[in-house]
Amino acid sequence: MAAFTRCSAPLLFAVAAFGCASQAGAETRHYAVSWFAQATYSNDHDCSHGVHPEVEQIYLRYAERLGATPAQIATWRRKQMEGEDVRDLDELMMNRGRIDGQPVNPYTQPAAVVDLQMPGLDGKYAFGFNLDGKGADDPNAFEDPETHERGVDHQLYRALGCTRAFRGSLESRPTYYAWAWGQLKDSQPAWVITVSGDDLSKDGPVSVSIERALEYLRSNSDGTPRFDMAYRIDPDPRSRNTYRGEVKNGVVSITEHGKLRLLQNPLVAPELELSNVHLRLALKPDRSARGFMGGYQPWHPIYFGIAGVGFGGEQQVTGDVPGFYHLMKRYADADPDPVTGQNRAISVTYYLEAVPAFVRPADATQQLTSR
Amino acid sequence: MQVKSRLRAPMWVWGAAAVVAVGGIAAAVMSMRTSEEPIASGPSVTRRLTAEQYQNIIQDVFGSDIDLGGRFEPDLRVDGLFAVGASHVSVTAAGMEQYDAMGRAVAGQVVDANHRDMLMPCKPASAEQPDEQCAQEFLGKVGRLLHRRPLTDQQLQAYVTAATQATQITKSFYDGVALSLSAMLSAPDFLFREEVVEPDPDHPGSYRLDAYSKASQLSFFLWNSAPDSKLLAAAEEGELHSKRGLARQVERMMGSPRLESGMRAFFEDQLRFDEFETLAKDSALFPKFSAQVADDAREQTLRTILDVVFTRDSDYREIFTTKKTFLTPELGSIYRVPIYNDGPNGSPDQWQPYEFAADDPQTGILTQIAFTALHSPAGRGSPTIRGKAVREIALCQKVPAPPGDVDFTQFELASASPTSTARERLGVHASVPSCAGCHKIMDPIGLALENFDGSGEFRTMEGNARIDPSGEIDGIKYEDANGLGNAIYRNPAAVSCIVDRLSARALGRTTSSGERGWLKDLKDDFADNGYRLSALMREIALSRALYSVSAPAREPAQQQVAAASSADR
Repeated sequence: MAAFTRCSAPLLFAVAAFGCASQAGAETRHYAVSWFAQATYSNDHDCSHGVHPEVEQIYLRYAERLGATPAQIATWRRKQMEGEDVRDLDELMMNRGRIDGQPVNPYTQPAAVVDLQMPGLDGKYAFGFNLDGKGADDPNAFEDPETHERGVDHQLYRALGCTRAFRGSLESRPTYYAWAWGQLKDSQPAWVITVSGDDLSKDGPVSVSIERALEYLRSNSDGTPRFDMAYRIDPDPRSRNTYRGEVKNGVVSITEHGKLRLLQNPLVAPELELSNVHLRLALKPDRSARGFMGGYQPWHPIYFGIAGVGFGGEQQVTGDVPGFYHLMKRYADADPDPVTGQNRAISVTYYLEAVPAFVRPADATQQLTSR
Repeated sequence: MQVKSRLRAPMWVWGAAAVVAVGGIAAAVMSMRTSEEPIASGPSVTRRLTAEQYQNIIQDVFGSDIDLGGRFEPDLRVDGLFAVGASHVSVTAAGMEQYDAMGRAVAGQVVDANHRDMLMPCKPASAEQPDEQCAQEFLGKVGRLLHRRPLTDQQLQAYVTAATQATQITKSFYDGVALSLSAMLSAPDFLFREEVVEPDPDHPGSYRLDAYSKASQLSFFLWNSAPDSKLLAAAEEGELHSKRGLARQVERMMGSPRLESGMRAFFEDQLRFDEFETLAKDSALFPKFSAQVADDAREQTLRTILDVVFTRDSDYREIFTTKKTFLTPELGSIYRVPIYNDGPNGSPDQWQPYEFAADDPQTGILTQIAFTALHSPAGRGSPTIRGKAVREIALCQKVPAPPGDVDFTQFELASASPTSTARERLGVHASVPSCAGCHKIMDPIGLALENFDGSGEFRTMEGNARIDPSGEIDGIKYEDANGLGNAIYRNPAAVSCIVDRLSARALGRTTSSGERGWLKDLKDDFADNGYRLSALMREIALSRALYSVSAPAREPAQQQVAAASSADR
């Protein structure tokens, strides 16, 4: 391996907070994404019909729709309350889909599960972006609680925001995403964001790359993400995304709202695919970054990522899985199917945190010294 | 002490060391001043095996897959070295229990079905019956290696008899042999390095180590382990008492991969790396620091040193100024430099060579985590502790303990301000006469390392204040850690320190006043040889002083050794 050196001392002092320039007249900062989950802003006033019941109660509603007698339901309810096994109900729920009257797996065949018409979120606020350009005129849009921009499109939040596993805030993370991230972060190759510009401490145009590393995110012994680890960019073209953007008042945004594709992990979803991608990333004084990424995302992969938890995960983590299918189908707001008219994509906003990292570009032939 | 697996020597060190040894030995023998000088020798010493020496011997004799289990008694540091403290310690009753348990564990593995065919030179006629011939062959062979000299007939017969009787009771030949082997591993002749002294026929009126003690002296110095079979054979044939024969063995040993083990042991001792066993950092303040980082940091410094003194065979003093080192990705994150792994996701971290820029504050081993973090409290850095460590470790200077009636009032007042810097807080020492005397020789040194926090991570600010890393040592002022490294490089005490400590390690004791001339010659030759450690080690190994002892208080032990059977003890 070729030897190399890090920043010279004077330069190091000059840019101690953010690292040194990778080339004359330019500055590049790399970040490893250390948290990525749907941006939620749950509060006491966002589900006027109430938060969805526990999955055990929802099971009884399904049972009723599947023809169980009132006596059966009363027995199951009593057993549930007394902590007894309800194996016959479990068997019924594990196959609560119906095709031609025959039981089918509800997780892989969610369309075959009866739609309980669970309500969506109807609060005023949601993190995100004005994706469709309608702005304040859009009656279905939210207001961003941080920027107070109106016309925010975040229908995934509307669809799932009243289900227990998907409620939370930036500080109090939603159960499902906390679980999924915990499963993935120590094995899934990290996502890396690179911001390049003339001087990132000043307003001006930048280039933003969002790529996948070969290595998983490294953590400290207390589980917090580790600053200043080195990652190599995966040359696989399926995870290479670069956009024009700008930095303004220390916040990086994308001005070229194209597509984004990143390979992910089948436990959550095989890949993350967005169109009309938006980014708002604040560069923090402690050298980390946090912000939001949004766009329109095909909702089928979101569903099947969640559905992978199966019956056990439905009870332990997510709640009623087929219900998510119907909710996302109902609230999907983009990419209509040319035949059926059903929207195939849904507006989403993800909240992300990132820590400073060293990154070796995929096409680099030797170690580089940017940070 | 917890038993740990031993690090294996990288091939690049082996090869380089071999080249260095072969190329340098002739010149060294020709140029050394010390081989024939009259010497007023010091006393012979008896040393308890260190934990690592015990481990090395077991590995050398029986292989690296033998698990020791158990814990060793703590070693004692005297005059800066465990190697000297080893001649000041005994074995407690609890320690003897541990040795006994380890001996039984080792013996059990040596004769088990997985190892016996490889480690035993013979097979018994019956696995259920005594076989004295086979037992004698095996116990005689390993006894020579473990006791570092051939067993006497009386010793060997005692072990064989014990094995026979145990076999009759257990109905297992291997259990019987294991019992004798475990006794051998608990015997004083194994656990202690006792020096056998004899009159020196070449220097009437003087005494020297006998050939086997000489072999041990040489082997533990260069390899930190017992003599191998070739060295024992050389002792048996009297080769070690001839200059040419000794030089031949020294040349062979310095070309051996075991040389790295010996030098690692010396520097781990000299740098007090045993303190890593109790090193802990506040994870809220230093989240990057972990047990893995501590292990890597220790290894980084050893690799840095070995790169200077062996791979490149450079000026020893460069360990204080070198920009070249070796890093893992985790260490890279603390030093804030990119160290990339090779291989697919999840591959184990790999060591990579790295060279810091000439003007980078990272310079030499004093700025490495294994120094800055090791000599810091759990929650902060400490210029005082670091300055004291520089004095004691790099320069072998003693810093007196603080007086018992220290008045901390002024210091606490200075510390009360959350915005104060370490420099400001420590400035109070100058105003308190009872503190100033010692702190003025510690604090200014350590302040040059203030760019490294308590975990060794580089920083430019302390709170909201920019750090001033200027310092001073013995009247030499410098601007930062680079200056400190250069000042140590130029300090004659750094040279005296390494010569004193290396010779003390070889002798197992601090040199006596009568050996000052020898030390002076070593230092002069060290300078003449460009401060190359390999040359210094070779000269010590070839020195008559290493094998000469003062007149014993009673008759030389050689006359008693035949009667002194460990089996009788």
